[in-house]
Amino acid sequence: MKHLVKYSLMTVVMFGASSCMDLDEEIRGDFTQNFTPANPGVGVKNNVNKATPSDGLSAAFAAVLNGTANHGSYFSVQEISSDEAVITQKGGDWFDGGIWLDMHRHNFTPTVGGINGAWGDAYNGIQQCNSLLDNGKADKTALSASEAAQIRTLRAYYYWRLLDMFGRVKIITKAGGDAEQATRVQVYNFVESELVAALPDLPAGRQEYGRVSKGAANALLSRLYLNAGVYKGAPEWQKAIDAADAVINSGVYSLSAEYKDVFSPANVENPEHIFVAPFDEATGGGMNFAQMTLHYPSQLTFNLAQQPWNGYSTLEEFYNSYDNADKRKANNFIVGPQTDVAGNPILDLAFDKEDPDGPEINYTPKINQLAPNGSRQAGARLGKFSFKLGQQPNMDNDFPLLRLGEVILNKAEAQFRLGNTAGALTEVNKIRARAGVPALTSLTEGSLLAERGRELFQEALRRTDQIRFGVWGNAWWEKPNTAAKTHQVLMPIPKEQIDASQTSTFKLTQNPGY
Amino acid sequence: MIRLYLSLRRSVALCLLLATSVAFAQERVVTGKITSADDGSAIPGVNILEKGTSNGTVSDADGNYRISVGANATLVFSFVGYASQEAVVGGRSTVDVSMASDVTALSEIVVVGYGSQEKKEITSSVVSLSTEQFNRGNINDPTQLLQGKVPGLSIYNRGGDPNSAATIRLRGISTVGANTSPLVVIDGVIGASLDNVDPNDIETINVLKDGSAAAIYGSRGSSGVILVTTKRGSKKAGGLSAEYGGFVAAATVLRAQPVMSASEYIAAGGNNLGSVTDWQDEVTRTGITNVHNIAIGGGNQNTTFRMSTNFRNVQGVLVGSGFEQVNTRANLTHSALDNKLKIDLNMSLTNRNSNFSFNEALRYAVLFNPTAPIRFPNGNFYQAILFDNFNPVAIIEQNINKGKRKNLNYNANIGYSITDNLSINANYGQQFETNFNGEYYSRNSLFRGLNRGGLARRYTSDRSFTLFETYATYSKSVNKINFDVSGGYSFQQDEFEDLFIEMGNFPSDALGYNALETSGDRLSGIADLVNINSNASPQNRIIATFARVNLTFDNAIFFNASVRREGSSKLGADNQYGIFPAAGLGVDMTKYFSLGRFDALKVRVGYGVTGSLPNESGLAQDLFGYGLGSGGTVTKIRNANPDLRWEQKEEINAGIDFGFGGKLSGTFDVYTRNIRDFILEQPANLIDRAVYPVGSLFFNAGALNTRGVELALNYNSVQIGQVTWNPGIVLSSYRTVLDEFIIDEQTRANLGAPGQNGTNMIKVKVGEEIGQIWGPVFDGVEGNGAPRFKDINGDGQVISAQGSALAPNGDFQKLGNGIPAMELGWTNQLTFKNWDLNAFFRAAFGHSLVNNFRAFYEPIDPGAINSYNRIITDKAVSGLTVAQFSSLYVEKADFLKLDNITLGYNFKTNRLKNLRAFFNIQNAFVLTNYTGIDPEPVLADPGSADNGGFAPLTPDVLSPGIDRRNSYFTSRTFTFGVNIGL
Repeated sequence: MKHLVKYSLMTVVMFGASSCMDLDEEIRGDFTQNFTPANPGVGVKNNVNKATPSDGLSAAFAAVLNGTANHGSYFSVQEISSDEAVITQKGGDWFDGGIWLDMHRHNFTPTVGGINGAWGDAYNGIQQCNSLLDNGKADKTALSASEAAQIRTLRAYYYWRLLDMFGRVKIITKAGGDAEQATRVQVYNFVESELVAALPDLPAGRQEYGRVSKGAANALLSRLYLNAGVYKGAPEWQKAIDAADAVINSGVYSLSAEYKDVFSPANVENPEHIFVAPFDEATGGGMNFAQMTLHYPSQLTFNLAQQPWNGYSTLEEFYNSYDNADKRKANNFIVGPQTDVAGNPILDLAFDKEDPDGPEINYTPKINQLAPNGSRQAGARLGKFSFKLGQQPNMDNDFPLLRLGEVILNKAEAQFRLGNTAGALTEVNKIRARAGVPALTSLTEGSLLAERGRELFQEALRRTDQIRFGVWGNAWWEKPNTAAKTHQVLMPIPKEQIDASQTSTFKLTQNPGY
Repeated sequence: MIRLYLSLRRSVALCLLLATSVAFAQERVVTGKITSADDGSAIPGVNILEKGTSNGTVSDADGNYRISVGANATLVFSFVGYASQEAVVGGRSTVDVSMASDVTALSEIVVVGYGSQEKKEITSSVVSLSTEQFNRGNINDPTQLLQGKVPGLSIYNRGGDPNSAATIRLRGISTVGANTSPLVVIDGVIGASLDNVDPNDIETINVLKDGSAAAIYGSRGSSGVILVTTKRGSKKAGGLSAEYGGFVAAATVLRAQPVMSASEYIAAGGNNLGSVTDWQDEVTRTGITNVHNIAIGGGNQNTTFRMSTNFRNVQGVLVGSGFEQVNTRANLTHSALDNKLKIDLNMSLTNRNSNFSFNEALRYAVLFNPTAPIRFPNGNFYQAILFDNFNPVAIIEQNINKGKRKNLNYNANIGYSITDNLSINANYGQQFETNFNGEYYSRNSLFRGLNRGGLARRYTSDRSFTLFETYATYSKSVNKINFDVSGGYSFQQDEFEDLFIEMGNFPSDALGYNALETSGDRLSGIADLVNINSNASPQNRIIATFARVNLTFDNAIFFNASVRREGSSKLGADNQYGIFPAAGLGVDMTKYFSLGRFDALKVRVGYGVTGSLPNESGLAQDLFGYGLGSGGTVTKIRNANPDLRWEQKEEINAGIDFGFGGKLSGTFDVYTRNIRDFILEQPANLIDRAVYPVGSLFFNAGALNTRGVELALNYNSVQIGQVTWNPGIVLSSYRTVLDEFIIDEQTRANLGAPGQNGTNMIKVKVGEEIGQIWGPVFDGVEGNGAPRFKDINGDGQVISAQGSALAPNGDFQKLGNGIPAMELGWTNQLTFKNWDLNAFFRAAFGHSLVNNFRAFYEPIDPGAINSYNRIITDKAVSGLTVAQFSSLYVEKADFLKLDNITLGYNFKTNRLKNLRAFFNIQNAFVLTNYTGIDPEPVLADPGSADNGGFAPLTPDVLSPGIDRRNSYFTSRTFTFGVNIGL
């Protein structure tokens, strides 16, 4: 027993020895909350295009790179649901559970492809903005008035996407906060008030690369007001004109001489750009158009670093909406026989037996069918953001989220809606003149929508436009008339998000009709 | 860091010192002779253990033994095949024992956590296997020894890739986000790696199955505990012995995936490229394996030692795949101070060089055009630029995929009997592992290399683990009560570092991955091309104190209880410690009731709580990443969850151990286990993105319940003429239900490209069982060759698009279950004179597999047939040209296989201690209706990869039953070997 006591005593002493009981955790492989980067916002300066400013705002602005020009998120939903792009099922290829066929046929469900990505990408950007506004930059310095205004404008842009696609979302303005699901009108009012509030503090003149200035807030306001009838049930045509004029008359922006230059790999700081997603193959990945649209052997045409996926093409009817003389037609699509860098025809060794072109690849605007046996070589391909030789999967072209061309058309449409057809024609013909097509002498809703389509193709605006023009429920190629499903002007709230919100204080509910 | 390390060393040394600076006490020497009650002959090799201590010895060749014991000692005599006995020493100095043979032995000594117990005293579900019961043949991994032998322990290494580790599950999935493999304890070292123990060196393996047995291991015991004891030298005087064991094995492909021949392919519309190539034959071979083992052991009453060296040269059936391994192990045991002090040293070293080759070659050997030549006339490999299409021979011949691994571990265990009743024990050990892998893809290799101008990947990792444990045991007998009480402390520390580099664009293939400095990508400035990652874990610590009492009343009523309080550095400061209690009660009914021909019947029930933690660190801290994109951005990659609690498993196990009529023995167990607060890392897209838009979060995400039954039966010595037959059978069945989850319902396990992305095959729903394969039901072919699906809900419309997989109007249903309803092992040992024959059958029933090859490549798709050869099975539907996932590709995968059959002959010789030769066949035959490569269950989904992409690293345990396309081909192995003892 004596020994037992002795041993117990030793045990106590032993456990007292510090490291015997020390459970502190010192993280060695990741940064913790103590992390202050030596030079916030500057990781790499050798961006082959141009460096974004070292202002500590990059985390928030870089979030626009997500979903804007890659597969499976915002871009895919906006484009595939519209009449300007399609992913056909090519036999065993690209069926993908029917989610993109459903998207094309307007059979939207809470788990349809892409909507959860679009939701998450937008809130990711919002979180980055909230974090900067609440906590300051990574080096703990607070934002200047101008910087705060830029971030609020950026946040309003993300909320515009949510407003446009989902309508009823949570308006979260605090880092890590939660909020009740708002109505669509409330989201509209929030976006409007944020932009209006930000305007006085925004920098005047041309924005820095990848950032926003007054022009961006006004351009986004013109887009917001143009769609006010859809968003809140009451149009705001005059406000749309005023906001557009604020951009047009600022003298800061001008139409690019050549349409193609607005979208080319070297389109950095094109005079027409108002707000861009500054994609870069080295430091700003996320634009994968070459992969998404080109057929496998087209790798040889552009010496692509990776094999493309043969997914996206445009609808024949949309392709045919361009005059042959239209410069935009040649720029926006890749059609016809394809060759390698040396000019030799490239072959698809797994060509469809019915394909009249045989193994030699020929992109034909006509597509035989949507599903199940869409031809592998059919469909004009999306070439607006042109490819460079030796292209990486991540492209270098900047994506204009707001540009003067659109603002001019916004003004034209608002004028037309208010009955000022002459003024509208003046604006529309500025755009047509650059495209090398004759001026229009009269306007209808139809010709206005078609002109917007030709100009803004592949810029993820077509769904929004079709809804505003009331043609969203129309039938088009391989898509039935869905006019009766009026609730489909909004996408369903993603099922994953509704499920996940059940653990939150504020639970999301589904949009009516779904 | 150095300072910290030194201070750690000092403290551990202090701990050691304290534990061993002990007082001395009285002891006495007992000798005796052990004979057989049957014929009076001496029995060598009997284990003699001083009860309640680790003090023991073994009888010599003449049955004599000598042991120093404390006063009031009780000796326990045990030997396989004999009823174990206890003898109270009292005042005697000689204790002779006559042992009766016992075929229904409940009487072995079994190593359990921190000590050993007689088997009959155990109140939990513990299975003990020794050399005779192990699987035989071409065994290169310790887990193969156990496969099918332990009811409730599922071990599957599909296809038998020599470089891949088996998936091990005890009683089903025990956790979702944490470590699902059992805790391995080798010679008392917790958390040891089976990579560093050669199967030849293993003496016994004990599996602690239920919570009451495993709870003494606390947070690491949830997935079960496997205790490995390595072989020791003999105490027999002058007993220096040498053993040699060796075998040569030949592995051939047993089951490949049937595809169209060249002529069938052309007839079906495929492009005729003018050659005839059997691609599956081109990338497989007869794999020859050589294994040699030499062991020398010996000793005297005070000291024993054993040293062994194992050499393995293993070839898989995939061309190039295999490894070379040298392992050495040394044990030294020394008793001093009249056996009061016992020191045990173990060390082991493994050096392994692997050639992983490319399992993708097997995939593309199934798919590649059978009319394509291997090479063009100019000698270049034939390649076509198509999606997901690579010449399989080129993959293997152009590229390199190799790795080196070194393991080192040692431990020292010191035991001391302070008094007759009190002994203490301390164990200090370390374990190290380094890996260094390299991949190189040639500039000419379409597979991963061509577009990159050559691609090199290097990976190295370093892990070190330190263990210090000490415990004391106090034993006492009072009247009819024997009890022992133990208490102890455990310190475990794990550190891990790794480095990964990937870059391409090399001037030449000549130097492979050995000249990263010549990579042209270094000039590009593109972070995606120069892919570098380095990481280091914190010093992950587990610190615990534990106590246990074992109490025996009347030598028939057994009670065990333990509690462990354990803390982990991984959790938030307020939640670091968890309490893991256990209790068990067993009653030997034969003592109190007349039970006719039952010669043993023990009823027992146990309850225990164990825990589990994920492998990741920093679960309770905000972690930030720094991205180079857009000029450098800081983003949160993980959200802190300081409230994260221990994941706990609560298990109740009830069992019966019985012997009947002297011949039949068996064990029956039923259990229910509730896993609460299982920890899961949720990426942001699964949590409320409005609140947690970025990064991930570790949650206590849900609860699981598993119920199951297990049965083991053995029948001893059926005599058929001169042939003795010992059959045994193990059966197990369980069902796991998801009780709670933060997501009510979801689908998982994407089928993948080409064409079947967004196609999830598994449904997970709260309140339903795990493992449901989910999809539309095939109902015929439409005119355009597309599948027609059944209107399951009868609403007049068929909604089968994946977007409606969970919608009320969707026509989806459960198509099968990935987890078997029942698993069976059937052992047969036959002996005839000097011959012995072992036949082991293994089976699993009730599980289904999604045959991914069929799901993509069976329909004769007029477009795709030019890209891919077609699968041909009797399940193909004529006219079907469109591949879409449905019930058509979900197959019942019930199987029965003659897993292992061995014929051995023991030569009678005077010059050698033993000489044995054996011939073995593994996978002699498989009976199954499954049309894929291997019908064995897939317990976790490895995920999809295509077009030369790299598969995700972490398999998904919520998605069993998905037979992906990279499966290694199943092999049949013929082995011839000899064992020589000097």
